[in-house]
Amino acid sequence: MNGHLHPISQYLREAIKIFEELGFDVFEGPEVETEWYNFDSLNVSADHPARDVQDTFWLVDGRLLRTQTSSSQVRYGENHKPPIKAVFPGQIFRNEATDAKHETTFIQLEGLYIDKNVQVGHLFWILQEFFTRLYGPETKIRIRPHHFPYTEPSFEVDVKYRGQWFELLGSGMVHPKVIENMGIDSKEYTGFAFGLGIDRLVMLKYGIEDIRLLRSGDLRFLKQFGS
Amino acid sequence: MKVLRSWLEDYVKIKVDNEKLADSLSFSGTLVESVSTILDEKIIVGHIKDIKKHPNADRLQIATVYNGIEDLQVVCGAPNIAIGQKVPLAQIGTILPEIEIRRAEIRGIESFGMLCSEKELGLGEGSSGIKILPEDYIVGKSLKDYFTSDAIFELEITPNRGDCLSHFGVAREISAVYKTELEDEDIKIIEGEKSDLTVEIQAEDLCGQYYALPIKNVKIADSPQWLKNRLISLGQRPINNIVDITNYVMFDLGQPLHAFDNTKIKDQQIIIRRAKINEKIITLDQNERKLTDENLVISDSEKPIALAGIMGGANSEVDQNSVNIVLEAAHFESVNIRKTAKRLGLSTEASYRFERGIDESGIKKAIFKAAKLIKELAGGEIQTLVEAGLQPERPKVKIELEKINSLLGLSLEKKTVDEVLVSLGFEAEHDWCFVPLWRHDIKIWEDLAEEVGRIYGFDKIDSKEINKTLTPPKSSYYAKEFIKDILIENDFTESINYPYLSQEDLETANLDSSDLLEIANPLQKENKYLRSSLIPGLLKNIAKNPSFDQNLFFEIGNAFTKEKEITKLALVSAGKDAKKKIEAAIENILKVAPIKKDLLNVKELSREELTRFKIKKPVVFFAEVLVDEIIKNVSVNNYSLVIPTNEEKYRYVSKFPAATRDLAFVLNAGIDSSLLRKTILAASDKVLLVEVFDEFTSEKFGQGKKSVALHLWFQDLTKTIDDGEIANLTSLIINIIEQEFKAELRS
Repeated sequence: MNGHLHPISQYLREAIKIFEELGFDVFEGPEVETEWYNFDSLNVSADHPARDVQDTFWLVDGRLLRTQTSSSQVRYGENHKPPIKAVFPGQIFRNEATDAKHETTFIQLEGLYIDKNVQVGHLFWILQEFFTRLYGPETKIRIRPHHFPYTEPSFEVDVKYRGQWFELLGSGMVHPKVIENMGIDSKEYTGFAFGLGIDRLVMLKYGIEDIRLLRSGDLRFLKQFGS
Repeated sequence: MKVLRSWLEDYVKIKVDNEKLADSLSFSGTLVESVSTILDEKIIVGHIKDIKKHPNADRLQIATVYNGIEDLQVVCGAPNIAIGQKVPLAQIGTILPEIEIRRAEIRGIESFGMLCSEKELGLGEGSSGIKILPEDYIVGKSLKDYFTSDAIFELEITPNRGDCLSHFGVAREISAVYKTELEDEDIKIIEGEKSDLTVEIQAEDLCGQYYALPIKNVKIADSPQWLKNRLISLGQRPINNIVDITNYVMFDLGQPLHAFDNTKIKDQQIIIRRAKINEKIITLDQNERKLTDENLVISDSEKPIALAGIMGGANSEVDQNSVNIVLEAAHFESVNIRKTAKRLGLSTEASYRFERGIDESGIKKAIFKAAKLIKELAGGEIQTLVEAGLQPERPKVKIELEKINSLLGLSLEKKTVDEVLVSLGFEAEHDWCFVPLWRHDIKIWEDLAEEVGRIYGFDKIDSKEINKTLTPPKSSYYAKEFIKDILIENDFTESINYPYLSQEDLETANLDSSDLLEIANPLQKENKYLRSSLIPGLLKNIAKNPSFDQNLFFEIGNAFTKEKEITKLALVSAGKDAKKKIEAAIENILKVAPIKKDLLNVKELSREELTRFKIKKPVVFFAEVLVDEIIKNVSVNNYSLVIPTNEEKYRYVSKFPAATRDLAFVLNAGIDSSLLRKTILAASDKVLLVEVFDEFTSEKFGQGKKSVALHLWFQDLTKTIDDGEIANLTSLIINIIEQEFKAELRS
């Protein structure tokens, strides 16, 4: 057999399998999104500098290419009743000039858990559990407070990988406004969400030197993985 | 944003070292990206062994300085050096506060470094001569080992925390984390006589408070060295005492300030108003800005004199001849400043702070502090403060103790919660707290929970296992992965291509743009349209891989038209057995997904298309189908995700082309061919890939024997690999395989 699975698909399978075992559904939303799903529903208002953090591809028709798969979280929340447990793999986009370290196109995996009485401790548990299952029982993580408009409190997560700390994941307790925008009562339910960039994890794992190789279609590259 | 440790220490006692401080800040929400010291490590103790006169300059000397390893020739202008002295030597590559040391030729003599004065080192004010070091200092050691040097912290301030864009703001965070006192100075000035200056806020929705303070008879000069040093450390260029003081107070307290030349304000009137449509102003950067009625300006009776909150006007600039000035401190509404700054493409330190929200209770304090510094450093007579607008009331948020504890999974007492909030400047009153006017991000009890969590310490929160639930039915994601497995078994390799098309791509693929989704603001020409089919991308993949005699690709991805976004599956095949391979793959898909065969028709690329895509292979076949058509008939409830293992280390792909060779061996049928692959890969790092393409037993090889045929790809990371080297590598590999596996090369 000389066919090869793309290293990104391979990594996604590894990650998704862990969440599958923890009872998470898998949902993929559209890549072309409305401003509502990509920004406003996630508490990123047009007037706030938080929007500048992401360079967005706007379409001529007023829609955009999603800058995160969180838009799919809102869509999923609209159509499901809590308890909600799902992960969201998918392609996301940034309007950037590309080089060995900068890309326009990435694969992200986000997760969402909404139920009664979901706490910060539950989020910490799943983060530790995920990285332990992915990298082994000795894996250490550390959690730093951060800011994302769609979560409150928000965290960045560093993972010690091969002796070095890497900032690998963003997460937090879903902002009550976002929960309301899913049509769910935020007084009754709380939840957590997290997101990780798969491209970066793949590059770290193999020591890939140029991010553009992932989408190069170069068989010298692709045939080194997943046979 | 940069902050200086010594500057923070103006407001808070710091008892820990730089590393510990950086950790505390990072784990309470202010990420420290880097810490650097002012004193560069490359500045060492040097020993003067010899001094000669410079042949071409009377005032210069040529010193021979020993750095612990070798003697260096250094040209020096200071008269106070002597043989035998120990001196600070900045070697080539050193970065001093104001310059970088490079190898230089000074009046015809080469110099390999610089001897430094106290001032040049950023250690003090002394600039008259080289700083002579004590006798017992060890030659070659870094000066950092002897002097405590100030440290610069580079911080990432998230957009919600405008209050941390100043030394005072960061000091407040430190005081809350370490539970130490924040020294909040109470600044008083003595206001003098009343002036004729008037202030009128016409655009009340865009300007909440405005303070103007006239100061007469100031003396414009350079700032003192301590002030210059602080600004330089933050990467700012000193200009003159008045401008430097307004900048200094902004980095100190977070309040942007501006100074006007009072004689240039017509009729002594300051009016804060919307610009007139097409009104123009030349800003301090000498650019003419055309305004609309959405932009806020500071105007005199006649013309705009500043773009409010962003940049001053050239027509009212403080220059060397200014004598009477007006200090401005105000609150401008964030959204409006952001819109104007974005529209004009003009982002400044001031606009950055107004966009994120300033301390609406600290504006007067800032203008007084600046006035006090001006009085000290530039003289002058402070007149009466002119005020307009009002400081708003502090908003109130209910402290939902039970909910905060529940969200954090803690059982904190009300007292503990109150203490955290008070340390951050909140005022707690029973179940409510008043939010300080510098915290624009606190609106709901969840925001308070974050404050409590980050100061109390998230590391004190235990993790809690989540409820086990049943795994839901497998979604379409699994069905797509199942289809991928079938294609991989049929030798097809998965490609993930960009979903964009350039104008050039449209021409190559002969596509009409009328139905394509177009990107309005691409930075690169490659990102003009979104693909409506996966085929053009896969054909480009074929064109890119001439060193492979067989190209089999597939992709599952989204395609777009103006009407809809759909997920497609596409296959392409080229080269050896192209038709047979694609037909076999499709047949195997149809076995698990019984759909009408004509939905997955195989087509052949025309000769003309081959040319347009620059494909060298003679025949190319392709097929494309909606993924939904296939997976709607596929059951995946028993499918489990297959995770391949990659045992070999990833090898860098060379910029230079790869070369291929085929080898076939006869060996014992019991030997796993993957073992052959691994052995060959281990033989040399110039072997990029090894692929088994044929494996069979036959009578003619003898009892229990088989033939294994392999493709080998060779590359060199530094050049195109040549035939001679390939021949050497091949014979090396043949040798190894023959010996290790008792194999025989088939000719």
